[in-house]
Amino acid sequence: MKFTIPQEENMHPGHLACPGCGGALAMRLALKALGKKTMVVLPACCWSIINGPFPYSAVKVPLFHTAFETAGSVSSGIKAALDILGKKDITVLAWAGDGGTFDIGLQALSAAAERNDDFIYVCYDNEAYMNTGIQRSSATPWGAWSSTTPAAKEEPKKNIMDIMVAHRIPYAATASVSYPDDFIRKLKRAKDIKGTRFIHALVCCPTGWKCSSEISIKLTRLAVQSGIFPLYEVENGLKYTLNKPQQISPDNKLIRSYLGAQGRFANLSEKDTKKIVADIKSEWLRLLNKIEGNICIKQ
Amino acid sequence: MKQVFQLPPWAISTESTLYNKTGSWRNYRPVYRNRIPPCNNACPSGEKIQQYIDILNQEEGLYKAWKLLTQDNPFPAVCGRVCFHPCENSCNRSDYDEPINIHTIERFIGDIGLNEGFKWRLPRVNKKYKIAIIGAGPAGLSCAYHLRRRGYQSTIFEADNKLGGLLSQGIPSYRLPQDIVQAEIARIIKSDVKIHSNTAIGNEYDFDKLLKEYKTVFIAIGAHKEKKLGIPGAEHPSVIPALEFLYQLCAGKRVKIGQRVGIIGGGNSALDAARSVLRLGKKPIVIYRRTENEMPAILDEIQEAKEEQIEFVFLAAPERIIIRNNKIVSLECIKMKLGQADKTGRRQPIPIKGSDFKVGVDTIIPAIGEEVDTSFIPGSFLKVLDDTVSTNYEGVFAGGDAVTGPKTVVDAIGAGKKAAHLIHCYLRQVCLPVGASEKPVVFEDLNTAYFEHETRIPSGKLPLSSRLKTFAEVYQGYEKPQLKQECSRCFSCGVCNKCDNCFVFCPDMSVNKRAGKYEFDYDYCKGCGVCVLECPRNAIGLVQEER
Amino acid sequence: MKEVMSGNHAVSYGAMLSRAQVIAAYPITPQTQIVEMLSEFCRTGRLKAKFIKVESEHSALAACIGASIAGARAFTATSAQGLALMHELIHWAANGRMPIVMADVNRSMAPGWSIWTDQNDSLSQRDTGWLQFYCESNQEVIDTIIQGYKIAETVLLPVMVVLDAFVLSHTSEGVDIPEQKLVDKFLPPYKPQYKMDLNQTLAFGALVTPDYNFELKYQIQEAMEYSLTLARKVDKEFKRFSGRNYGLIEPYRCARAEIILVTSGTITSTAREVIDNLRKQGEKIGLLKIRMFRPFPAQEVIEALEDCKKVAVIDRNIGYGVGGILCQEIKSAFCNNARRPEIFGYITGIGGRDVTPDTIMEIVIDVRKNNKADNRIKYVGLRKLR
Ligand SMILES: Cc1cc2nc3c(=O)[nH]c(=O)nc-3n(C[C@H](O)[C@H](O)[C@H](O)COP(=O)(O)OP(=O)(O)OC[C@H]3O[C@@H](n4cnc5c(N)ncnc54)[C@H](O)[C@@H]3O)c2cc1C
Ligand SMILES: Cc1ncc(C[n+]2csc(CCOP(=O)(O)OP(=O)(O)O)c2C)c(N)n1
Ligand code: SF4
Ligand code: SF4
Ligand code: SF4
Ligand SMILES: [Mg+2]
Repeated sequence: MKFTIPQEENMHPGHLACPGCGGALAMRLALKALGKKTMVVLPACCWSIINGPFPYSAVKVPLFHTAFETAGSVSSGIKAALDILGKKDITVLAWAGDGGTFDIGLQALSAAAERNDDFIYVCYDNEAYMNTGIQRSSATPWGAWSSTTPAAKEEPKKNIMDIMVAHRIPYAATASVSYPDDFIRKLKRAKDIKGTRFIHALVCCPTGWKCSSEISIKLTRLAVQSGIFPLYEVENGLKYTLNKPQQISPDNKLIRSYLGAQGRFANLSEKDTKKIVADIKSEWLRLLNKIEGNICIKQ
Repeated sequence: MKQVFQLPPWAISTESTLYNKTGSWRNYRPVYRNRIPPCNNACPSGEKIQQYIDILNQEEGLYKAWKLLTQDNPFPAVCGRVCFHPCENSCNRSDYDEPINIHTIERFIGDIGLNEGFKWRLPRVNKKYKIAIIGAGPAGLSCAYHLRRRGYQSTIFEADNKLGGLLSQGIPSYRLPQDIVQAEIARIIKSDVKIHSNTAIGNEYDFDKLLKEYKTVFIAIGAHKEKKLGIPGAEHPSVIPALEFLYQLCAGKRVKIGQRVGIIGGGNSALDAARSVLRLGKKPIVIYRRTENEMPAILDEIQEAKEEQIEFVFLAAPERIIIRNNKIVSLECIKMKLGQADKTGRRQPIPIKGSDFKVGVDTIIPAIGEEVDTSFIPGSFLKVLDDTVSTNYEGVFAGGDAVTGPKTVVDAIGAGKKAAHLIHCYLRQVCLPVGASEKPVVFEDLNTAYFEHETRIPSGKLPLSSRLKTFAEVYQGYEKPQLKQECSRCFSCGVCNKCDNCFVFCPDMSVNKRAGKYEFDYDYCKGCGVCVLECPRNAIGLVQEER
Repeated sequence: MKEVMSGNHAVSYGAMLSRAQVIAAYPITPQTQIVEMLSEFCRTGRLKAKFIKVESEHSALAACIGASIAGARAFTATSAQGLALMHELIHWAANGRMPIVMADVNRSMAPGWSIWTDQNDSLSQRDTGWLQFYCESNQEVIDTIIQGYKIAETVLLPVMVVLDAFVLSHTSEGVDIPEQKLVDKFLPPYKPQYKMDLNQTLAFGALVTPDYNFELKYQIQEAMEYSLTLARKVDKEFKRFSGRNYGLIEPYRCARAEIILVTSGTITSTAREVIDNLRKQGEKIGLLKIRMFRPFPAQEVIEALEDCKKVAVIDRNIGYGVGGILCQEIKSAFCNNARRPEIFGYITGIGGRDVTPDTIMEIVIDVRKNNKADNRIKYVGLRKLR
């Protein structure tokens, strides 16, 4: 199998991401998919560092660094300005971490989604506040170590997709850089839709996940395969489509090899692991139910 | 309103991060380094299997594939039919689903070469050196070919009137049609190789004389001396040794056999004899000392014999032939059981006392093995040295079945190739390495996430019903679409096939594609190793930076 | 064309005449009418702008920041809690040199809930890099918004136009609405040099190391200083087509005055009446109105006050732990000046308590009887609790 991804490179090397950063690759692929007519809105997150200090920038498109909680609101403002100035063919891309999305930026994002403002919002989810040194966020999974959950996080990960889908936005999807063809297809698809489009991309942060850098892609692939992070799309808050279903089998072995490769899960007891496996399986069934729910919807 | 030197009003970036040479962060450096695919490694003639499959996948043309293949093996059409394909046994794909059908691909390339009349471009002949080859079997012919590729002309002395050794004196045509064998041989001969057929060294031509005249000799006489059955009744005229039986068939002669033919042995000769008997309309019964698992015949043949419903009597050894009125009426056998494994790993058969039984047969074909006959070499015997081709005689080399005892076609071809190499070294007084001995890629080295499961495409095959009564070829090979599909299954183990993965997954844009090749940009590569792991075929290594 | 309108409507008209292109605002008493009227202007097409109905003031200013960096003229309006909620972005707009104009209707900060005026909300944003204008009338509101854009877009700093809750926001007066054609000539379309633009591919606001940051902040101060000169120029230019101007400060009947009251916002109008009466009675008393608070026009203030004997600064705000904020500013302006009047600080009208001519008279009487000022805060209208 050969991936057919756009050759156009809209990012420079020399950026400041850690070796093996999944978030860096995510931006690279996204900009390949969206092309040069894109403007990036970047709240505080690792990417604020990755893109380089003043007077440098790693992306070959305009980029605005903004306050941590404002990806949604600033994007709305930029899009409104572009509209009124008659520049209708520009894609505004809000690019935020899990902290900026699940936590501090949720209000602004929710409001923009409710207004169905016209931009693509990508949450690159590395499951903690990495910029500030691996503090837990509401995207940190149950049982994971972080510098503010020194034993383990005791609350489950927030389901951001459910939240966004509840806004009935035209398009919401999960995506993974481990599946570049799917990732790019989703961004291209999003580009062709009007309104708020939300992409939730799980990315590996080797530093924060305490794993070796070369398994960055492998881990997020395992996350998909094991059902921890299934790839799916939701149209208009109603129509669910599961992607790459033949890849997914939420089984014990895959989940364990995902957990086992990461130092942040090193403290899990056998009982903890069993709970995680059980939770993942039940979440997976929940998703399957939603997909089956499609049948009831007459469109 | 004052502004400071060239500063913009606020933090507005105008430059790119290219200033920041992140290559200095690196502790490990990725390097492209093609490794040895296990299939190539397993092929005794050293075919570059992965590479010709890749040529087909990249649609670079059959000629290119044929040229590459025949660099190592001048008999693709033959080997594509009869080789026991150790390449497939070691194919990494077998750990995933099923091995690549390499021999059928090879056969396709070989057949195309014959049909299209593909030709080699060989160097001019250097007449300074005289080289004699004894025996025109695969070993001898391969040696002649490989010498020719190096610019040497050789002279082959062959006892028989036909060339090909067991290819034309043993293997039946339902497996290997003679026109194929002869066409591939003709191509070698035409490339300027001298032939003296009907010239047995020892009989028609003295060995010492030959040695004086040629100085350099390659002995490739095969192993044709039948082992004796050595049981009472073995001298009866209806006891026909397998090689003789098959030789007659190959020569197109009619051999007189009865209705029920007992074939003793479990090797290729035994099965070929049995299947030939079947095709002559008689009933073959194969009697073997051990079980199916220990049979030395190649697996495909056992499979086909079973398909053809040939009767097997396992764990039985012949004791004596019972003859009445000068006719064989039955074969008395004793039952065996398997004991401890011997040095070769096969379990030894042990007779069970008093378990005699009879098998009703009127003809017996012993196929219990052949030995090498070097009696024509006067006064002494041949000793083969460590490299398996050189001998204790100066300028004399030996290979193929003549050295190993009955083995395989491709081993003989490989031996001929190696001999050509060593002869070259001997004549030029140089010592070139035979080949690198790196570790081939194993299945665990691969990243199979990028491979879909796909079943192996079988070769076309005659239906059972139409193959029992004729000597028509059983296997039909591929058509082009099947070829394409099967080639696409190849993992290309250890060798970059430009899948783009390293390029796609690099978070640092440090894989550049230039003129169809990949290069690392060490100015920026951080050495994360992602490309190394995501290369499906282990064509990238990681080496520690020296800093 | 003259029309009777409230201060809030004056704000809306000001934004409309300035042809704001993106508006993002969130309702809060006493600013709500601004949001409503601008929504209506956008709906009817009187104003060709995008109104983003955000979920908070925080997002309102964020959206304006986005609009501004993308090259549009952005407007917002808020009050008290809303302004405080914006705080992080107030800095963002200034440090990002975004010429946004915002109306702040002064309202006392909660808790407890209050909807009435005092200046603590806007003054607590005084060091953020925004220009601040305190308006006395609805006419001044509409005019200052138009002037505000002109200044902001030249110096690349945001402008806050402040008006008192209810006293202006909900009180109707006759307002002369400038002709759109003339406003357009005065205020051409916004054409920023740096913006989000596909041809420029700039990145805005990256990490700034200590190597550069000092200089970047210094440039803000430079721009602030320059805006004093510019604001004067713009004010004069404005007069040329409208017949009105305001100055950065306005000395009222200060000739040979021995006592000068200093005011800002609507207290000024009340004080004018008192001054008129006292002058009629022959008292040497005048009034100084502070219109521009940031940047603080210290030199003009010194020149206006240095010749008198006593200055009474009336603050409708408290810098807790210090005193009236305007008073502090004036005292520090005089600190290195050789000639210095006695400066008395009065705090009054907090939480929207009425400031009447009597309140002002109480102050005048107090100044008259004291010759030496001290740093004690004098409260006027404060009910004695014991
Ligand atoms: C029935 C049968 C079936 C087989 N099937 C397979 C198979 O399916 N796949 C496989 O890989 N292998 C098979 N083999 C084994 C394979 O044929 C041999 O291993 C291979 O042919 C050996 O090649 P060679 O060149 O060493 O010897 P040979 O093929 O035996 O050739 C030796 C040649 O030397 C000639 N010669 C001998 N003595 C002299 C002399 N004194 N002077 C001149 N010439 C002489 C002989 O006439 C002969 O032509 C089979 C063998 C048999 C008998
Ligand atoms: C209002 C505010 N609070 C806190 C911070 C400090 N801060 C910067 S980035 C960050 C965490 C970002 O986490 P996330 O969004 O997950 O992105 P990541 O760094 O993991 O890529 C925090 C807490 C801030 N910049 N702004
Ligand atoms: S998959 Fe291809 S390269 Fe790998 S061993 Fe098999 S034939 Fe050779
Ligand atoms: S990843 Fe693909 S393109 Fe890169 S080295 Fe490996 S085979 Fe070649
Ligand atoms: S993926 Fe890129 S940065 Fe990482 S080792 Fe390979 S070339 Fe270097
Ligand atoms: Mg994060």
